[in-house]
Amino acid sequence: MLWLVVFLVVAVAIQARQASAVMTARRLARLQEQRVALEAERAALQRQIRLGTSRKVLGDRAESELGLHFPQNSELRLLKLRSRRR
Amino acid sequence: MAKPAARIGLIEAMLVIAALAVVLRAAQLQLIQGGRWQDEAERSRKERQVLPARRGGIYDRNGVPLALTQEYFEVGFAPNELTGGARDVRLIARSLGFPLPQLQRQVATRKWVAIRGPFNGLQVQELRALRGVYLDGQYSRHYPAGPLARGVVGSLTPDSGRGASGVELALDSLLAGVPGEAVVLKDKRGQTYQSPSRIDREPTGGRDVFLTLDAELQEISERALEGAMAEFDAIGGDIVMLDPHTGELLALASRRTVDGQMVVNRATYFTEPFEPGSTAKLFTAGALLTLHRVDSTDRVYAEDGLWKMPVDGRGHTRLIHDAHATPGSLTLADAIRVSSNIAMGKFSQRLSAVEQFEALRDFGFSSPTGVEFPSESRGTLRMPDRWDGYSKPSIAMGYEFEVTPIQLAAAYAAIANQGILLTPTLVREIRSDQGLLLYRHQPEPVRRAISPAVAKRLLEYLRRVVAKGGTAEAAQLANWILVGKTGTVIRHDGGVYQSGHYTASFASVFPLTDPQLVVVVKIDDPRSGKIYGGETAAPLTRAMLEEALSARRSALDRSRLASPALEEAAAVVDDNPDQPAVNRVVLTLPVSSDSAARPGPRLVPNVTGSSLRRAANALHRRGFHVAVRGSGRVQRTTPAAGDSAGYGALVTVWAE
Repeated sequence: MLWLVVFLVVAVAIQARQASAVMTARRLARLQEQRVALEAERAALQRQIRLGTSRKVLGDRAESELGLHFPQNSELRLLKLRSRRR
Repeated sequence: MAKPAARIGLIEAMLVIAALAVVLRAAQLQLIQGGRWQDEAERSRKERQVLPARRGGIYDRNGVPLALTQEYFEVGFAPNELTGGARDVRLIARSLGFPLPQLQRQVATRKWVAIRGPFNGLQVQELRALRGVYLDGQYSRHYPAGPLARGVVGSLTPDSGRGASGVELALDSLLAGVPGEAVVLKDKRGQTYQSPSRIDREPTGGRDVFLTLDAELQEISERALEGAMAEFDAIGGDIVMLDPHTGELLALASRRTVDGQMVVNRATYFTEPFEPGSTAKLFTAGALLTLHRVDSTDRVYAEDGLWKMPVDGRGHTRLIHDAHATPGSLTLADAIRVSSNIAMGKFSQRLSAVEQFEALRDFGFSSPTGVEFPSESRGTLRMPDRWDGYSKPSIAMGYEFEVTPIQLAAAYAAIANQGILLTPTLVREIRSDQGLLLYRHQPEPVRRAISPAVAKRLLEYLRRVVAKGGTAEAAQLANWILVGKTGTVIRHDGGVYQSGHYTASFASVFPLTDPQLVVVVKIDDPRSGKIYGGETAAPLTRAMLEEALSARRSALDRSRLASPALEEAAAVVDDNPDQPAVNRVVLTLPVSSDSAARPGPRLVPNVTGSSLRRAANALHRRGFHVAVRGSGRVQRTTPAAGDSAGYGALVTVWAE
């Protein structure tokens, strides 16, 4: 009788472990699918950001819509930051 | 009829033989052929699959993606397996952007429907849950920055997905990664079952390559070049920006017009050499200074812009003219400033062919630079034993040899880097697919091309070119000092010079103090009427620098640039910091001039062997000013005896 109980316990443990592995594998597969989708989304967004912030788009719009222009060097001043001493 | 016992015995014997046959056959199958059948069983039950490795990405120096590998999918579905019917078909059409009526017509045939795409993970995400829809995933390369730096980045072969050109080819072994391997189980219908525990070897992703290019400067360069081609009606052009202290290439732009179409993906800055013209005068000047053949007071007569140069002892001459004719005589610095072919031609006579050749070789010409690119021209420079009588002045003027824009930029970078030539590089960092730093570029010195003192002097010469009266006045900035040299050469086709067709160029260093950029701009065949480098390439350089200075982020170090520009402006150009003082000869007055009544070019008298006093007297009578080097008997003069020089020109007398 004891042998039967031991057998059932071992069988249930093995089954539970297998079921857990299958669940984990499915979850892993879903996560991989999500990762692929997110990577695709990231790439698409990066492309849009790159295009939207390119000098071609921003510069032309700033010139035509806002009347701005690229500064000539005589209009540029670079300020040197001095490090603070404590 | 046999007896029953005999029949029984016979049957028993047959049974024993049959049993023995079974046992023997079993032994044969299991013991003798066991291995083969085991393999057969494995093959029919399992299938080995190659797991593709993701190809590494290519980024600019700040992480802006230039080439990425992404998983893409082809979609197929069996209409009779779709449980949602028309609703599933609508979802498929919407997700994939496929025309619904067309898809419905295909579904109506009840045959397998394949939609090749490719579609990205986002597009197929909703389809994964549909029964009957099958996705075939594969890695595919895409270029998020579009045409930006495509000539450098290159491309892949469409079939194998390996590098075909550019960095994709040069660093293919690093980018490709190592494919993995997995075993999947099959049932008797061929259906496969994947299991994580069956992966024999995980795929190793390719390394990520961070280029030295700066996307901001790259975009500025490409836009500027396209604008210049339109403005100057040019057929092409190249731009190279390089950090002179590290050799890192910050921007590389190339445009060509082929059959009326703009071609953007060629790496002509590596592959197409051109005659550098006057931008190369600086290298002969470097050799003259290094070998002490010229000092700051030496002058040669500029022949009023037109000189019949003798090329041999038989009276043959070649006509040399200056685009910017200058009266009187010129020092080496003047020759660079006004880009005098005549003066450089005369100065070049003080070098032997071997000395001039070696000076150019020291600056890296006629050798590949070693940049990480699969194809690179070495340029052309004939060995000195194949030079003719005209070669020395011709090469001093930037003809008879060819350089690539990248070689020219590297050579100017050597001048900006205190004379040390560095290997230009395209690769700044290499990281593993886990982000670990595997390689970081360090400057790679090739050789010392010139001494720091000569480099400093050449930069001073370049400064004059951009100052008032120089050929590149249009390039000067208000608050920073840009220095550089213009060049304009007649183009050749098949070894024949094409009159009226030019290549205009400008090679520059920015800023003069603590240089951060070397910029080479080349405009091919400008046909708008403006043909000179000072009219085309120089103002283009200025415009690009203005954009770079105002860019939100660029490779320029603003903290170094923020130093008061007036300090630079106040830096006085020292005419002769490394030369001994000039001796002057005191003469008894009055000195009569035998040629004062005839101002204009005159021959330099031969005073070799004379005393200094006698030589100075003779030269003064001819109307020349005199400077003396050394003491004792006169050995030679510059200009040499028999050469012509203008009235009032300085003749240097070299004594023992």
